[in-house]
Amino acid sequence: MRIFLDLMWFFRQEYRRYGLAVLALIGVGFATMVPPWMIGKIVDALADGSLTREFLLQHVGIIAGVALASYLLRVLWRVALFGASYTLANELRQKIFRHLTRQSPAFYQQMTTGDLMARATNDIQAVEQTAGEAVLALFDGALTGILVLCVMTLFISLPLTLVALIPWPIVGYFMWRFGKELHHSFADAQARFSDLNDDVQESISALRLTRAYGREAVEQGQFNAIARQANLANQRVARTDSKYDPAIQLGVGFSFLLSVAGGAYLIYLQRLTLGQLTSFTLYLGYMIWPMFAIGWLLNLVERGQAAYARIKELLAIAPDIADTGSFSQQAFPSITFAIHRFSYGEGQPPVLEDINLSLEAGQMLGIVGHTGAGKSTLISLLLRQLEGDEAKILIDERDIRHFTLDNLRRHIATVPQTPFLFSATIAENIALARPEATQAEIEAVAKIAQVHDDIAGFKDGYLTEVGERGITLSGGQKQRIAIARALLQNAPILVLDDALSAVDVKTEAAILAHLQQARADKTTLVVCHRLSAVEQADKTIVLQHGHIIERGTHTSLLAESGWYRQMFDYQQLERAVEEGR
Amino acid sequence: MKQTFTRLLGYAAVYRRTLIQAFLLLLLATVASVLGPYLIKVFIDSYLTPGNWVAADIGLLALAYVVSQLVGATAFFMQALRFNRVALNVIQTLREEVFERVLQLPMAYFDKIATGSLISRITNDTEAIKDLYVNVISVFAQNTVRVIGILIAMAFLDLRLMWICAMLIPVVLVLMFTYQKLSTPVFQRVRSLLSDINARLNESIEGMSVIQLMNQQQAFSKAFSKTSTDHYRAKIQNIIIDGFLLRALVDFIYMLLLAALLFSFGLIELNSHGAVEIGVIYAFINYLGNVTEPLIDMTSRLNMAQQALVSASRVFKLLDETPEPVPAEPLQPASTRIEFDIDRFSYNGKNDVLHDIHFAIEPGKFIGIVGHTGSGKSSLMALLMNFYRLEFGSIQIGGVDIRDISKTDRTRMIGMVQQDPFIFGGSIADNIRLELDISDAEVEQAAKQAQLHESILNMPQGYQTVLAERGKNLSAGQRQLLSLARTLARKPQILILDEATANIDSHTEALIQKSLMTLRGKITMIAIAHRLSTVIDADQLVVLHQGEIKQRGTHRELLREEGLYKHMYQLQQQQDPCEAMEHSDS
Repeated sequence: MRIFLDLMWFFRQEYRRYGLAVLALIGVGFATMVPPWMIGKIVDALADGSLTREFLLQHVGIIAGVALASYLLRVLWRVALFGASYTLANELRQKIFRHLTRQSPAFYQQMTTGDLMARATNDIQAVEQTAGEAVLALFDGALTGILVLCVMTLFISLPLTLVALIPWPIVGYFMWRFGKELHHSFADAQARFSDLNDDVQESISALRLTRAYGREAVEQGQFNAIARQANLANQRVARTDSKYDPAIQLGVGFSFLLSVAGGAYLIYLQRLTLGQLTSFTLYLGYMIWPMFAIGWLLNLVERGQAAYARIKELLAIAPDIADTGSFSQQAFPSITFAIHRFSYGEGQPPVLEDINLSLEAGQMLGIVGHTGAGKSTLISLLLRQLEGDEAKILIDERDIRHFTLDNLRRHIATVPQTPFLFSATIAENIALARPEATQAEIEAVAKIAQVHDDIAGFKDGYLTEVGERGITLSGGQKQRIAIARALLQNAPILVLDDALSAVDVKTEAAILAHLQQARADKTTLVVCHRLSAVEQADKTIVLQHGHIIERGTHTSLLAESGWYRQMFDYQQLERAVEEGR
Repeated sequence: MKQTFTRLLGYAAVYRRTLIQAFLLLLLATVASVLGPYLIKVFIDSYLTPGNWVAADIGLLALAYVVSQLVGATAFFMQALRFNRVALNVIQTLREEVFERVLQLPMAYFDKIATGSLISRITNDTEAIKDLYVNVISVFAQNTVRVIGILIAMAFLDLRLMWICAMLIPVVLVLMFTYQKLSTPVFQRVRSLLSDINARLNESIEGMSVIQLMNQQQAFSKAFSKTSTDHYRAKIQNIIIDGFLLRALVDFIYMLLLAALLFSFGLIELNSHGAVEIGVIYAFINYLGNVTEPLIDMTSRLNMAQQALVSASRVFKLLDETPEPVPAEPLQPASTRIEFDIDRFSYNGKNDVLHDIHFAIEPGKFIGIVGHTGSGKSSLMALLMNFYRLEFGSIQIGGVDIRDISKTDRTRMIGMVQQDPFIFGGSIADNIRLELDISDAEVEQAAKQAQLHESILNMPQGYQTVLAERGKNLSAGQRQLLSLARTLARKPQILILDEATANIDSHTEALIQKSLMTLRGKITMIAIAHRLSTVIDADQLVVLHQGEIKQRGTHRELLREEGLYKHMYQLQQQQDPCEAMEHSDS
């Protein structure tokens, strides 16, 4: 029940809706007690022949009036209570989203998308149910139960109540047992269902093998056996599930028998009227729901508690890159790297060491080296996706930690290694950073990125949807759209992080040539595998195991006959083979 | 929708006997449960009110009541079991059929469709249909019978008053219809907004670094808030409709009918004193209460039915896909001579992947197919395996078009070792053997041929070592060797190696080469290789470039020409400087 304390802030915030709902529930509870009472009185009047037209009209009128009142109150609590619980879900969802936007890439490496999604969907749903259904079960279930018991014992007969309730604990015991059985068989059924999922997944992955070996019948046999298991498991669930209704029916039936028998005895003793007995049996029917409500409440609370704990845990994670800088003005795009040593965590081997380098505004820097040499780490440090005490980077002679994160990101446009497009139109994807950009501006950058002709070739042009529900683009097209997107930012610093890998050599040359024109006075960093991309660079560094092993211009590096030279020759030959020469 | 529903019901027709049993049991259960209030009525009117305390009669009545309750409960339980069994068997049949269809679909189908949605058809969608059967159709059947039973009992007691209660039914039907009309669009909106929320969230998590680098956290948060709030509003709309129309309204109508019933009883009593039996009132009130619950139940299950029908129509659409054609009259190939006669081939009908491929492979020859990535090597082999339909041209084995060779003959003749082979959960021996009936010695023999025997012996349980899911506890090279062993165990007449040794070190490769050479001349071997050392000894090399044959000849002949093969060879002679650096460090 601690979950209700944990959610107290929300109950306070929504005290109006919760107050209304609880009042309406109490009102409904009392209103429910009236009709059986009235029926009893009418029955008594019928039995002893004292019925008059006025008496009848009055009592029937009360039932109709109470019916209307409880109808309205029922609508009221439902909308108020569930409405409030939906508000909780909506607020938590937005809170989690905003929280996620503050987390660094390291966070996303630790948490899987599936886990985050589960917290933002299933867990929120469980908490929403606690704030709605559980509150209902608590107030309505408990309240109705207590009220009914009070009316039965105080106004009708205590001994009769005791006799009539004899079957209830027995029914309760069976409910509890069925519940446990159901829990087991349901877990089993779910396990069989996931077996089924796994088997289908495996079969589809192994499809080529199945075809090649002609194993269709084997696969089918396996699947059928698993489907059979799932069927049997579900039948066991159905078996337990089918016991509920008859058990309740029996309980209610025997309870009725006992109350009619006991009531008849009391009537014989003239301590009870026929009308009271009629009311009594009707009240007895109202005890079914509270019986259920208790089990339901406990279940919801248990789930809600665990879910809310996971949500709180997520919200408690502080972003590991603190936005503590205060500099929010325009800076000149000269960059100085003064990295003594950087490693991922204490005691880890250094990923970068002794990287000292400065770059004038307007220059182009090439960064090459094999996979794992530290190229991407260097870029992540510049973007402050990572930081380290002995890794200092200055822009315009100012430590990047003194920039507000927002301002730092305004200075740098990045094209990441794997381009990511959102489910939106191409135009919206290009204009991601500047949604107000005009069509002309969008087309201009698309032309520089050599992707305009591709886009114009689509049926809907720039309004073509991409992503899950749209068309599938090739890797090269995605990269070029990502380049256009970065260009539209018109930032003083542009980083191409292996962003031309899926673009052919000719297109690459065209993009680079256009870039040089469009980005005079602006600084460009190019990380790449293919050396043709850095031929024009003012400076190029070769990284190996986190160290700079060669640096210079294309010509000077070729003259050195080192790694750069070897790589260049190799790529020349590779190109010949690729072109079929 | 209606068609889908009828087709779904058609599946249950097979279980006619069980259904009839279930239905008879349901009738029995209903009669028994309706009898209870009637017996109490008899007790009230014939014994209690007149003060007629005959112990034997009352005892008999009590016994009848107990028996009817027990019979009712048992019969209800038994009918529920039968309905469920039919429902679940139907789902199993449906699942088996969809799975079978998926296995028969042409390979090209899987290139178009996402695996996830295909799996979902076989599992989640059929599960939704299960809910339709178990929670909607059987509940509707039970409740309808129960309502009719109660009305008949009421008619026995008092026909006029029965009609008052029967008014509930048209009213509820109108209500169901109205509710369905009003709530379906809102309900669907809630669902689609929820999937928007999930899609947005998922996408934002995946693309978070881009959002941050572009400083768009605010904009994305705002868009997300909007979707989430739209969803909230739709849910509020939904709850308002539910609130006004569902349980509360049915309850309201019930109370009004109760008032009308009492009023009618009162009027009858006022008109002629003593005409009303209290027991009848008791029974009527009881019955009215019992008729309301099933009606509420049915109304609130309608949305579920809607959803399940959407799932069912997706399943049927998949079932109606055309399967890969099977040769009507299969022909037996006379030899293993392979003849490629391909004019052109394309996956999408637009870009040709292969064109003008004309050459033959004589039985027992060793052929190497080389070329750069994307040159069409693997497509050529996929065609030989008959994975795809060749529209322009043909491939013949022993003079018979591969499309006319039966599946059994084809799979017995051709063995293929894939680049990324599939490993099943189970032991190594099982993975080599699969369903083939061969001895342990033969399994070992195949493993030795594939040079896997030594490393299997080094594993903790040898051949009985259990492999992890997808063979994660094997190296990529070992997985390829396992696949080779598995194929060799089948003793194919034509062996296709599709980059089968790409992840294997050169020492092991040389050993494999040696054992494969013992098969030379006995079976036809076709090796696709990026690494040229694998195919140097081939009787003939076919060099592909962008889907056409660029050069042909033996290794020696091709090295004499200035051309693609020679350059490829030179490139491989020179180590990639990246790799070279890696090796020098370690």
